[in-house]
Parts: sequence; C-alpha cells; structure tokens
Amino acid sequence: MSYEHLAVERHGPVGWLINDRPDLRNAMNSAMRDEFADAWTELNEDPAVRVIVHTGNGRDFQTGVDVTEIAGDGVGFERYRESMEDFDVHFTSWHQDVWKPVITAVNGICCGGGFHWVADADIVIAASDAQFFDPHVSVGQVVAIEAIGLMKKMPVEAVMRMAFIGKYERMGPERAYELGMISEIVDPPEQLRERAQEIGETIAKNSPAAMAATKKALWGALEAGLTDACKEGAKHLVSMWGHPDQTEGPAAFAEKRDPDWETI
Amino acid sequence: MGDYETLELILEGPVAWLIFDRAGDGNAIDARMFVELEDAWGRLEIDEDVRVIVNTGNGRSFQTGLDVRQLASNPEALRASSRQTRDFQLRMTGWHCGVTKPIIAAVNGTCAGGGLHFVADADVVIAADTASFVDPHVSVGQVSAFETIGLLKKAPMGVVARMALMGRHERVDADRARQLGIVSEVVPADRLRARAGELAATIAQQDPGTLRALKQSLWNALEVQ
Repeated sequence: MSYEHLAVERHGPVGWLINDRPDLRNAMNSAMRDEFADAWTELNEDPAVRVIVHTGNGRDFQTGVDVTEIAGDGVGFERYRESMEDFDVHFTSWHQDVWKPVITAVNGICCGGGFHWVADADIVIAASDAQFFDPHVSVGQVVAIEAIGLMKKMPVEAVMRMAFIGKYERMGPERAYELGMISEIVDPPEQLRERAQEIGETIAKNSPAAMAATKKALWGALEAGLTDACKEGAKHLVSMWGHPDQTEGPAAFAEKRDPDWETI
Repeated sequence: MGDYETLELILEGPVAWLIFDRAGDGNAIDARMFVELEDAWGRLEIDEDVRVIVNTGNGRSFQTGLDVRQLASNPEALRASSRQTRDFQLRMTGWHCGVTKPIIAAVNGTCAGGGLHFVADADVVIAADTASFVDPHVSVGQVSAFETIGLLKKAPMGVVARMALMGRHERVDADRARQLGIVSEVVPADRLRARAGELAATIAQQDPGTLRALKQSLWNALEVQ
C-alpha cells in the first residue's frame, strides 16, 4: 500500500512504520489516523516482518493531534466523538492487535497524543535529544487514554505530574530512563535508527510464535489482578506446547546453530 | 535440617535460610528440587520459631529455572510440572505455597528464566553486584509468562517486556535492576549474605502478626486490576 502521511519500509526482518509529516512535527490529522490502521495491519500480516519499529521523520517523533485541522474546518473534535465514546480507535499496535514485538524509537519531541505510541509499544528507546511532555490541560483538553496506559506501566507520580503540569515542563531522556518509561538512550541521536534496527534484528532471532504468546500474556496482565493474570498467562504458555519451535529451540542450542523458527 | 538433597535449610534464631544447592547445575530445578521446595516452604511456614525467610543460592548462580532435560528423564515429575503449569498450581515459590512470613530474596549471581519466579514472588529483593537477570524463554521456543507477569506488576513494564522479548541476547545487571526497583539494594558479592541476615534480623524484630497482616494486604493489592 502507499501512504501519504506515513512511510512503511522493510529492512531484513524488521518492518518500519515512520510518521511522515515532518513539517507539522508529525501531528496526526484524520487521514493519518486512518493510515495508521492500515499500516499496522499491513506489517502485522506480512510474514517476512518479525519485529516492527515505529519512529518519526524530521526532528520530532510525534506531537499528538493536528490542531490546525481541528481548528480550521468547523468540525473540530466532533469528528472523533463517536470513536472516542466507544473507544473504537485504530491508530496504535495495541488497538490493532499486533502480536509481533513493537519498538518505539522516539526522536526529538514526543508530546500529548504522541504518548499513545509510548504507552502501547512493548519496548521504547529514545535519542538523547528526546523530550517528553503532555500539553493537554494547557490547551483546555483532557488527557486520558495515553496517561492511563502509561500509569499501568511505570511509576504513577511521574505520569500525573506530566498530566497536570502540561506544557510548562519537559522530561528529558535521562529521567525517562530512570523511571523505566524507556529502556535505552541512544547517543548521538543520529544513531537512533541504526540502534533500533539492531535491537529489532536481535529480537528477530527469537521464536515468533513464543514471542506472540508472551506478548499476549504480558498485555493480558495489565487487564487483570496477579493470580487471574497468571491463570490467563497459563493458557498462552500452554498454547506453545507441541509447537515445532519448542523442539527446534533446544536442538539448535545444543547444535550451536541458529534456530529455524516456524513463520507466523 | 540436612535432609534435603537439592536445598540447604539453615535456622538461625528467627531467621531461616532456604538455599538452592545444585551449584554444579546453576541451581536449576530438577525433579527432586521441585518436590523439596514445596516441602521446605511448608515446613518454614509452620515452624513458629521462624519469622523471616532468606532465599539465596550456593555457588555462582542464584537460580536458573527448570532443569528441563533432567525433568524430561523423570516422566512422573514432568507430568506433575506440566499439570501444575497448565492449571497455574505451581508449588515452587513462597507465594505459590501460601507462605505468610516475609521473604527476602538475596540474588547471588545469574537469575535466569524460571529463576525470576523467586524474584517476582519475594517481598524484599537484594542482589550481589555480580547478579544479572535474563529471560531466555523465547530464544528456545518457550513462552515467558508467570515470572514476567509477576515482575510487571511490580516494576516498569517496558523493561520487563524488553527482557522477555530479547531472550538470551540481553541481560539486566544489578545496578539497573536497583534503579528500576526490581531490587532495593546492591552489595559486594562477599557481603550479600551478611547484609541479607541484617535485614532479616531487623524485620524479625517486628510483631509476627503485624507482618503477616501487612504482607497479606500488600499482596492482595496486586490482585486488583
């Protein structure tokens, strides 16, 4: 497929989804929002893609919804009312049930709605020039979904502080790393994509089926208490029993060769 | 208490030490340890002299998970472990076995795969500076579930998911584990047991009933979504 506001690339086993409205700091208009749904699905369904990296063209990763579109055509936020009320949205990998590992690689600014792709990725890394802030309340908007997702995954106070301080304070990559919001800082920033590709290729050495089941178990755990999450996790764990990768993994290890995994 | 083959159990006043003792095999859980762990946790729970339990390992590793090859040679043990896994009725950790006393995990070296159960399920975790954490499941075609689910209830998910998805290709070292709050203290390896003993003795001064109620209420909090 071709896209106007996104770039989709493939490098070896790694699929790339790149925000491509650099002049608008990759802000998301309604057309881009629709394209996200297709792009995640395209990469998810491509058997050659084992891992997906999400980043942005230009200086910044993502700066939320395109407010010029919202302000400019009289429709405003009403265009999103129905989908938000039903929480029937499709612009992140989590929304789209992508069970391949997703790495978000934050370049430059990630603010407001940009946090959707931090909250909904499995692994988040950032360039050393990355900056995080959430301006919603400073422009009279509520932040909900992105912050709720983050709170499930990291210390809550830091999320609340960003939500309430709005545009008047930015979090740098060091603090994001300390808090576990990101797992790696790439310095110099120009090496962000190279490093993301490297992590992607490393992850692609692991069993795709086992990773998909693991991802389901972990994300399921955000929906349930500990014991219930483990009981649900047991189903995903047992789903791999008898799968060829379970014999291939130990065999390859014993024979000191790369495993030949089943494609999913 | 020397009647275990795979565990060493030491009682020092109010502090009990439950020590993995298959140092030659990375302290991996074989069929025997699988049975002995349940017995040992049960015994420490009912022993009224025991107020705090320290869990550590002999040798260079803390705990490296199920010894799958050994387990496979014992069909009965394999069936039992498969059944317990399928039904989530494991009996390996203090949490699995319903232990109500405070448990301190003292991670003395490599903690891999199923070894992470004992970190996720402990109340307090400290580590030697030589400790490292790795989850190789997906690199050998296995799913990572219980251990990482437990960890992500207690530490930032992104780093737990990264550990689960990187498999054997990346390790989290002791300092990063402390920064993330997976462990609360890192000490030189030769100081680990002394420090764990100090912490245990400090906790053991508290009223056992209070500790039990506290432990129960905090773990119950993880049961709410």
